[in-house]
Amino acid sequence: MFIARSEYDRGINTFSPEGRLFQVEYSLEAIKLGSTAIGVSTSEGVILGVEKRVTSTLLETSSVEKIVEIDRHIGCAMSGLQADARSMVEHARVQSQNHAFHYNEPLRVESCTQAICDLALRFGEGADGEESIMSRPFGVALLIAGYDEDGPSLYHAEPSGTFYRYDAKAIGSGSEGAQAELQNEFHKSLTLPEAEQLVLKTLKQVMEEKLDSKNVQLASVTKDKGFRIYSDEEMAEVVSRLPTN
Amino acid sequence: MASILPGAPQEGIGYSFSQAAPNAASEPRQHSFYPYSDNGGTSLGISGTDFTIMAADTRNVSGYSINTRYSPRLYLIGGEGPENKGARIVLSVVGFTADGSALKERLDNIVKMYKYHHGKPMSVSACAQRLSHLLYSKRFFPFYVSAILGGLDEEGKGALYSYDYVGSYEREQCRSAGAASSLIMPFLDNQVNFKNQYQPGSGTGHNLQAVVAEPLPRERVTQLVRDAFTSAVERHIEVGDGLQMMIITKDGVQEKYVELKKD
Amino acid sequence: MNHFPETWGRPRDDVYGPYNHGYLQAPAPNQHTQSPIVTGTSVVAIKFKDGVVIATDNLASYGSLARFTDVKRLRKFNERTVIGFGGDISDMQHLDRLLNSLSIKENYQHDATDEEDTDGFSADNVHTYLSKVMYARRTKFDPLWNHMLVAGLDSDDEPFLASVDLLGTTFSSPSLATGYGAHLAQPIMRKVVPDEDAVDQVTEEQAVKVIKECMKVLFYRDARSLDNYSIAVIKKEGVNLKLDEKLENQSWQFAERIRGYGTQVN
Repeated sequence: MFIARSEYDRGINTFSPEGRLFQVEYSLEAIKLGSTAIGVSTSEGVILGVEKRVTSTLLETSSVEKIVEIDRHIGCAMSGLQADARSMVEHARVQSQNHAFHYNEPLRVESCTQAICDLALRFGEGADGEESIMSRPFGVALLIAGYDEDGPSLYHAEPSGTFYRYDAKAIGSGSEGAQAELQNEFHKSLTLPEAEQLVLKTLKQVMEEKLDSKNVQLASVTKDKGFRIYSDEEMAEVVSRLPTN
Repeated sequence: MASILPGAPQEGIGYSFSQAAPNAASEPRQHSFYPYSDNGGTSLGISGTDFTIMAADTRNVSGYSINTRYSPRLYLIGGEGPENKGARIVLSVVGFTADGSALKERLDNIVKMYKYHHGKPMSVSACAQRLSHLLYSKRFFPFYVSAILGGLDEEGKGALYSYDYVGSYEREQCRSAGAASSLIMPFLDNQVNFKNQYQPGSGTGHNLQAVVAEPLPRERVTQLVRDAFTSAVERHIEVGDGLQMMIITKDGVQEKYVELKKD
Repeated sequence: MNHFPETWGRPRDDVYGPYNHGYLQAPAPNQHTQSPIVTGTSVVAIKFKDGVVIATDNLASYGSLARFTDVKRLRKFNERTVIGFGGDISDMQHLDRLLNSLSIKENYQHDATDEEDTDGFSADNVHTYLSKVMYARRTKFDPLWNHMLVAGLDSDDEPFLASVDLLGTTFSSPSLATGYGAHLAQPIMRKVVPDEDAVDQVTEEQAVKVIKECMKVLFYRDARSLDNYSIAVIKKEGVNLKLDEKLENQSWQFAERIRGYGTQVN
């Protein structure tokens, strides 16, 4: 098995005899090293939350940007290689603007996710003969939250190019524990404030540092306000509501 | 005909668009190629509260010659397969038919691909915006067609969009395009939007009270369309032979054909 | 020996005559067809209940000169499609080559001679192909200067007749004619088939008769026409293509009464 790996894990376009693309599988490992990101979908909207790894007291925490806007109605949280995420988000933003330009309507969240995943396997040639644009698979996973004509939705996109829709999903280093917690706590009738608390509570359990209003970031996507990153004041308010233990 | 024989006098009654094919004999004699022709015809669309009616005559001409008495100018856009099953959008194109069918095929492709990409049929407003870009994308070698797009909007109300050659567009209650549009449009203004109609006995001058336009019932609109065309046929030689109508409602698109005078 | 260096190495004028600088000049840029050169005139065709009849004369004119008098302007594509060409002859030959390569590719998949194998191209497919070729060329401002009629049977074995011209304009009708035929032959044919419903009442004999009548009228009145013509009948049973027919029962009696035509000179 180990020999087979070393034979077949260099070429990114080469299947192993067992039918695996090792470089793609390894890229999934890169995400497990990333900081934890959580998304929870409710009937009112979607909450995204990430932990900011504050590695130094000298670090300006506001410069850690792990939740970004794609369009007014779509946002995403990332875990893994942030630099890779930038080009994916850029692509999604262009697609979203293009769609609005051509069709005079917002891009659907699923279509946006699909557009991002179309990029994921572009280390080989594109379906329409486009040249390959990357030397390796992406090393980042995204949680894409949005609100469209079908209501709120949350998608998880992987470097392999597959994506699934989730009610609640955790990615990154603490994802296993966090996902188990979400599994227990999630229910369909969550309100938005309850979802905020669920995200923070879950992050708190899996974070190595002690959670405070500086080392986590929340964002929401709702029908009325669209995508919105929580301000420092809002973060402080939400964190203060967390039960202390 | 004139385009095949060099030096043959330019036949025809002139083009509906202002730039005519070059035919002046100059030194040295050059017979340059003109990539457009005008195949005549007129289209008309009227939107109501829960329906849109699209109509166009089926005569196709080159100059004084009638190419055929039946060439449809209304096309279903979207739906499934080459028969556009289940389509809810109708496009009418008048002007240069080769450009017209090329435009229709492009739009149809886009609308069908949209459904595969986004998992829902394209709305009329999205289709309208896309058609505008399609026309503008050939801004410097335009499609010589006047397009009208009809369907139902997201609220189920009749939606009608009209275009110029390079993609300027507008949503309207009613619009006629093509050869006899200048004959039909004023009639529509009067009969659909009640222009120049006043309440009897409301006085004179500033006291006159305009009749307020209200959405017309389907039967009334259908009859208006037929009247508009029977009258246009009498006054315009490029209009006649047959009238193709498509009525778009929430139940689908119903197609009708009635004969027009063939002289 | 001339002492001017610019003449060294060139043929001597006193032996070979002055050097012609017309040769070996930089070639002029390729020009698109701006006008047709050698042309064919009308194509006429009419549907009948079992198929279509189509005809052209065998003349290729160079302006007003009757240049080639044995040019076949009907082309059989397969057992259910015939194409009639009007307009530029060299562009017709180019299209002929395109159609040849198309039918070779097609015949790898389908046996055109096998009547059971009806999956191959039918007339409407050929017409669509030609319309795309013509429209693409006009869009490149490099048109193929032709007007064609495609006659045959569609995929349901129903009579099919449609036209495509140098602009890519397409239309279909129970009877069609290009060039002068649109003015002279079309009215004659429309009397027989005023609409699609009338086609079912027309027999093959009637259709052939009216086409021959049209060819005669065209020969009388079209100065760029000939009394040698090609005629094809396309039916379910296949194509009957005759390429060397002669107009029959001509009557030039009317010429007697035309001043300057017959015996009456002044």
